[in-house]
Amino acid sequence: MLEGGKISSGQAVFLNITMIIATAMLAVPAIAAVHARQDAWLSMLLATLLALPIAWVTASLGTLFPGKTLVEYTEDILGKWPGKLLGLLYLLWFIHICSIMIREYGNFLIDVFMPETPLIVINILGAALAAYTVKNGLEVLARVNQIFLPIILISVILIFLLALPEMKLERFLPVFEAETVKIFKGAIVPWGWMGEIITFAMLIPFLAQPGQTRHTAVITIPLVGLFFTLLAVASVAVFGPVFSNMNFPVLNAARVINIANFIDRPEPIIMAIWIIGGLLKISIFYYVSVLGFAQWLNLKDYRPLVLPVGVILIALSIAVAENMLELTHFLGNVSPYELLTFELVIPLTLLLIALVRRQGGNRQ
Amino acid sequence: MMKKTICLLVIISLVFPLGGCWSRKELSDLAIVLAAGLDSTPEGNILLTVELARPSALGGSQGGQQIGGGGQQNNVWVISQEGETVMDATRYLEGKVSRHIYWGHTVILVLGEQLAKEGIRKAINFFSRAPHSRETIWVIVARGQARDILNSHSLLENTSAQAAGRMIGAGVGVPVMLKDLSMMLANKGVNPVLPRMELTPSGTPQGPVMYENIPEAQNAQQPSTKIHAEITLTGTAVFDDERLVGWLDYHQTRGLLWLKDKITVGEITVPSPSEPDKKISIDITRGSTRVEPFYDGQNIWFDVQMNLDGALLEQQSTEELTDEPIFTAIENSTARAIEANARSVIELAKYDYGVDVFGFGQAFHRKYKEAWPALKDEWNEAFISADINLKVEAHIRRTGLTTNRLSK
Repeated sequence: MLEGGKISSGQAVFLNITMIIATAMLAVPAIAAVHARQDAWLSMLLATLLALPIAWVTASLGTLFPGKTLVEYTEDILGKWPGKLLGLLYLLWFIHICSIMIREYGNFLIDVFMPETPLIVINILGAALAAYTVKNGLEVLARVNQIFLPIILISVILIFLLALPEMKLERFLPVFEAETVKIFKGAIVPWGWMGEIITFAMLIPFLAQPGQTRHTAVITIPLVGLFFTLLAVASVAVFGPVFSNMNFPVLNAARVINIANFIDRPEPIIMAIWIIGGLLKISIFYYVSVLGFAQWLNLKDYRPLVLPVGVILIALSIAVAENMLELTHFLGNVSPYELLTFELVIPLTLLLIALVRRQGGNRQ
Repeated sequence: MMKKTICLLVIISLVFPLGGCWSRKELSDLAIVLAAGLDSTPEGNILLTVELARPSALGGSQGGQQIGGGGQQNNVWVISQEGETVMDATRYLEGKVSRHIYWGHTVILVLGEQLAKEGIRKAINFFSRAPHSRETIWVIVARGQARDILNSHSLLENTSAQAAGRMIGAGVGVPVMLKDLSMMLANKGVNPVLPRMELTPSGTPQGPVMYENIPEAQNAQQPSTKIHAEITLTGTAVFDDERLVGWLDYHQTRGLLWLKDKITVGEITVPSPSEPDKKISIDITRGSTRVEPFYDGQNIWFDVQMNLDGALLEQQSTEELTDEPIFTAIENSTARAIEANARSVIELAKYDYGVDVFGFGQAFHRKYKEAWPALKDEWNEAFISADINLKVEAHIRRTGLTTNRLSK
């Protein structure tokens, strides 16, 4: 076994939540609002419902092939070479979205707080810290996350509460103004984001209580959905539909906070959340990529791969988009198809094939 | 072990020159803008005026206004620069101002009258896009040129910018932050309004070095007291989308605040029921307004319900307030005064300016989302033909420390 560590179900839920919310936090409400406008929060709820099957499929595959990760059981299902090929595709996908995360991570800090700092510097620092976490293994990652995720969640709720005086419920009206199609269009991007739960398929073998796999995967989605909805609600209530043109509406919401001229402009909290959450999320996907490659190449240890994969990630994080607008366009219009292909279409097909061919050891 | 320690030390010492200090902005390197003014020039350029804080003059034991041998020390530096855009003007300013111009503490953004007539969208974009600027800046329209307004100082606050910001925040005029302005400009159901400010003669400063304004002082060949000019809130600027189309005076602004449900402070003066030439003033404790739109496919009308909780704090007349009919009569005339004021503002908006500045369109949109898409592009016409039924209820809950007059 490449990874000796075990994580508890609670830690797994925490990891799953970080895996999804960390980078979605700032941009996703605005992307949803481009189509759904003030009904963006409905899109979030819809996305939650749509994402539940993905969690279910992920857990089903995991329980069908106990002790094996996604890149291992593709071989069991499809045979050696097609399986290897699909495994490679998944690894490339992990690397691709991880590099996008590093890019978003650096982009935000530079756009808003440190405009003169070269992007590459922030990306290298972020990736280096993530590399260190990855080298220490899954247990360390899970524990770090266990400490920081509650801080992130509490900070977000705090920002939400502080922004309450700026919120007006009438900005939600009229509800259901957007047609169903538009609400669905608004739901696609958050759906793709929540679908990142498929990455959990790489962690299932390391659960200390494999019996709770399904429970762990499925409970994540409503929690994440609630969080997404909260962000959309805050953005709509503070700004109304104009926030669809903002790059980071949650940041803007924090910037208008002013409690009695005393608690004022608490956006450094947003920056702190972003740095911690972004690093954790990058670490998770980095870890999954490295572990997957080691399994795919039948190595005995994944650690020698940390550095080369890291270099690829950093280089790709710069090459992935020319500028902020291109990145936003990609996230809003292109990436959902890529994401949902890997998150829903392929896993569902794999599950169907496995069930039809009666593969897998652990059928209930 | 030794090797590891050395490695660690080298790494730690390498971390310091990295990333973190790249975009540092030391306080002493910043020229802090407290107020920005924008005017348009005949060539179509933008004239940017900034009121920069002079930190060395601010603070200190004397507060801002250091009164001493040399008189007052300037707290601010007001400087103007023309440019094609706000940023362009800023770039030229960097050649005159020795420090980096920093927008993070800007309190007010003043738009000149001419610029407001030509359209404000081109002027405000920089302030909502640049990351260091704030969406909580108060936006103001100047009567005349914005640069003239900024050429001023406040006797009470450190700077005139802070004085203006404080006044607007207190709810005297219509309070509009940059974010609110963006929302109003983006919404077809409401046209923007902004507070209007200008410099007016505002008393004479008193103090040991200020000369008294009496004949003896003038006879002694001393310079006569200069009249102090303070930034004054004098009403409201009315916009049709992004263009200034007219003004509301101070009194009409009260009516506007009522109709926009933004009334927080203020008073209402009504004639006494028994002695009409004497007046009674009611302090507004709480005011609220509810707008309910109706639409039958043909006609649009609005029912506006306004409620006032007030306290009677001044009475020139001598009637017995404990007399129930008289008290009711005062309440009724208060309600009528509010209604008449609101009615006059509605008529001004409808027939003189032809714009819905109250957000009735938003209320309509909330209730009739199916009908809205057809109406939204001609909303102002629909608003002009809509009936607006006002209903005001005034309750005087308190009469201060006395019931009837102490003396008659």
